[in-house]
Formats: sequence, C-alpha cells, structure tokens
Amino acid sequence: MNKITVHCTVNHKPVSVEIEPNKRLLDMLRVNLGLTSVKEGCSEGECGACTVIYNGEPVTSCCILAGQAEGADIITLEGVSVDGKPDVVQQAFIESGAIQCGFCIPGMILTAEALLMKNPHPTMEQIKEAMSGNLCRCTGYKKIEEAVALAASRM
Amino acid sequence: MKRRGTGVGCMFYGIGNTGLPNPAAAFVEVLPDTSVNVIVGAADIGQGSSTMAAAVAAETLGLAIENIHVTWADTQVAPEGGATSASRQTFITGNAVKNACTQAMGELRRTAAEKLEVPEEDLVFRNREIYSSKDETKRMTYPELMGAMSYRGRLAVGAGYYNPKTTYLNPADMSGVPYEVYSYATCILEVEVDTDTGEVTLLKCVSAHDVGTPINPKMVEGQIEGGTAMGTGFVISEKIDVDPKTLAIKNPTLSKYIIGTNMDMPEIYPIAVSSEGEAGPFGAKGLGEPALIPSIPATMAAIGNALGVTFTKTPIFPADIVKAWKDKQAAENQG
Repeated sequence: MNKITVHCTVNHKPVSVEIEPNKRLLDMLRVNLGLTSVKEGCSEGECGACTVIYNGEPVTSCCILAGQAEGADIITLEGVSVDGKPDVVQQAFIESGAIQCGFCIPGMILTAEALLMKNPHPTMEQIKEAMSGNLCRCTGYKKIEEAVALAASRM
Repeated sequence: MKRRGTGVGCMFYGIGNTGLPNPAAAFVEVLPDTSVNVIVGAADIGQGSSTMAAAVAAETLGLAIENIHVTWADTQVAPEGGATSASRQTFITGNAVKNACTQAMGELRRTAAEKLEVPEEDLVFRNREIYSSKDETKRMTYPELMGAMSYRGRLAVGAGYYNPKTTYLNPADMSGVPYEVYSYATCILEVEVDTDTGEVTLLKCVSAHDVGTPINPKMVEGQIEGGTAMGTGFVISEKIDVDPKTLAIKNPTLSKYIIGTNMDMPEIYPIAVSSEGEAGPFGAKGLGEPALIPSIPATMAAIGNALGVTFTKTPIFPADIVKAWKDKQAAENQG
C-alpha cells in the first residue's frame, strides 16, 4: 500500500510521519511515534482509553484515521508533564488515590486537561459530564472526580 | 411511576485458605543508606499489594515508606508468591514481608544492643530511630545503626514466608476450619426505579467493611468504591451473552456489554471498620472480593423493595422490572 505523509504537531513539536492510509491516529501515535501512553481499549470509541487532546478537544484516537490528522495539534500524556515531573492534574490524581490498575488513566487525565483548559473552575456536575466518556473498571470513579476537582482548585 | 427502595446486603468472606497449603514468601535487605529492598511474588495489578508490602516493611523495621523499594512479580528474582487471588495477598504476602523483616532485624538488634548497651529485647525500632523501651535516652538513629553494621561487616538480610495454619478438611464431608480469618461487610443501597421504563437509578450507597487494620486507608476506600461499581453493574447492566450452540460470547464489546460510567454511579460512602487484630500483618485482612460482594444482594433487594417483589436472579434488566411490576399489578387486581 502506498504510504502517505502526515504533518502535524505532537506534544508541541512538528512531526511528519509516513504511514499507510488505512492506519488510525492511535496506530500512528503508538507504533510510529512510540507514544505508548495512548492505550488501545475497545477500539470502537466506547471506553476512552485512547483519548488524546486534538485541537483542544478530547477525542478517541481509535476513531480517527491518521490521514485526517494533517495539520492537527495533538497532545498525549507524554506532552503533559512539566520537565519530567507530574503536572497539576497528574499530581492531583496521585494524591487523591485515583489510580488503581492505571489503564484508563492517560485518557482520564487528558480528558480532565481538556476540560480545565476550557473551564479552569468547573462545578462537580461539569466534571462528571466531561469525564463521562472515559470508562474505568477499578475505581468507581469517585476518586477520579475528586482528583479533577482538586486539580481545578489549584488552577 | 417512580418508586424508591432500599436494600441491605451482608457477607462474611474467608481469607487465608487453610484447607490446602498456600504459602507466599518475601526477601528483604536493609542497605547502608537505610533504603530497603523488598522482593515479593505478589502481582500488583492496581489493587495495591506493592504499597501494602512497603507499608508492612516500613512499620516492622521502624523506617519510612519512602525508604522501601518493592520489586514484585518477576519470577526471575522474586520468591514464590502463590496466586494473586482469593483476596489473600495482604494477609499472606503481608505476613511473609513481616517475617522476612523480622529475620533481617536479628543483626540490627544485635548491633544496636551492643552500641546502646541494653538487652536486645528492650529495643524499639520506630520512626527511623532505635531506642530502649526501659530508658528512652539510650537511642540511636538508623543511619548510625547502619554505620555500626557496616563497621562490623554485618548485613541486614531476611527471607520469610507465611502459610496459613493448614488444617485440611475432612475428605468425607469437607468439614473443618476452611479459613484462618474472615472479613465482614454490610452494604446499604438506595435506588429509584421507573416502573414504566424499568430504568434503575442508583442513589446512595453506604458500604462498611471490617478489614482488620486498614494498611492503606485510601486504597481501602478505592477498592470499596470500585467493588460497588462492579457489584451494582452486575445487577443492573452487565450480562455475558453466550451463544448456546457455538458457546461464543455474543457481546464481546463495550458497546454491547454495558459497564457503568461515572454518571451511573450512586453516591458511595465507603467505611473501613477496624477490628481487633487477628493473624494478619498488624491485624490486616483481605478486601479484594469483599469490596464487591455485598453490593450485589443490596442492589437486588433495593430494586425488589421499590417494587414490593423479590428477585432471585441477576441481572435484573429493565424488561425484567417492567414484567415484574405488571405481574404484581395483575395479581393484585385478580386478588
């Protein structure tokens, strides 16, 4: 299959990736760019584990073709930490005990980051609604919502 | 019509099978800089067995949890841990870590007793210091102790294991004492049921668990919250649909096997009930499965209470609720 070249910004740096046109953005990030924080869960846009911030919005990268990302600004968990240290949202997740197995956590954190970029002081209802596209099997969500509220209180 | 109901689920659950041997082991070394290597076979898949091992080691040795480095699950270096199942690792691996630390403390005690000139049995290891329980002015810091250990060429190493007191069961009728300790729990759940659509809204849940001594209180809460999410889902939305002919799972996707989102959760109030310490490390018992179990009968009973009927099977889907309500109405009209 002839490859296409996708030019976009990933974690604040311009990249160009040669990739088969039938590959998803999820594949491009994980396989071609080695960003393995982006997790493949359900592969059908249900679970949110593969969430990335795409032009400021949290989107499931399993449902976007790599070629569609031409010119896009993409942030993964690797682009969130500051000088190798946890940022305010990551730190809040750690302090709140919001992490058990951790598989959903990159997507959870990026969804929370996208919310707080747009709305730094959300209500609990706004937090619940924003986080509702990300499934978690371990935590019952309570400590995840508390973590987002804690991060918001420090913005 | 919307109707509210409350249900209660209670359980006890055996921790530390005694019907068959099921040991686990740990290796420990306290290094000259007071950091500690702990190696256990227990597999941490997020339930917190590694932080548990670190906390037990820190408490036993009198060091801080930050001093403890846990290597886990790698069979190339770790001793036998047995299965990470049956809610057993806090109880069994926790005790193994405690035993390994106790062995490593043999040389630490000998050295501290020599330096402080007090009997070994009077020594207390606490908050990175070692002192005599009879005369607290006789004390030294952990770095001083490790310096004395290095000077004497002594190493603080330990290997320990724990096996619940195996009693075996009577093969004729399987009678006997099957577990070393038991965890207890009660879950109370309130729901709102729409009798027209069969939709169940989970309102509030209080789930109280006797975990002995909670080694990591925040993780205990998290386990209870997660268990409640699984247990309520088990009743109202989750069903593995197996094709009876091919035995293939017909709904192997998250769009057809529905687990609750955060919007589906009740307000959850987890309570860790401390109880008198039994055979577990510092009195701790297991929580992994108990976290989930009582929320299932509580949810069933709450839905039944809302409708005034008794359900005996899970799951209880909207169609089951609408049918149960209609059957009840019909029976009342006939009567």
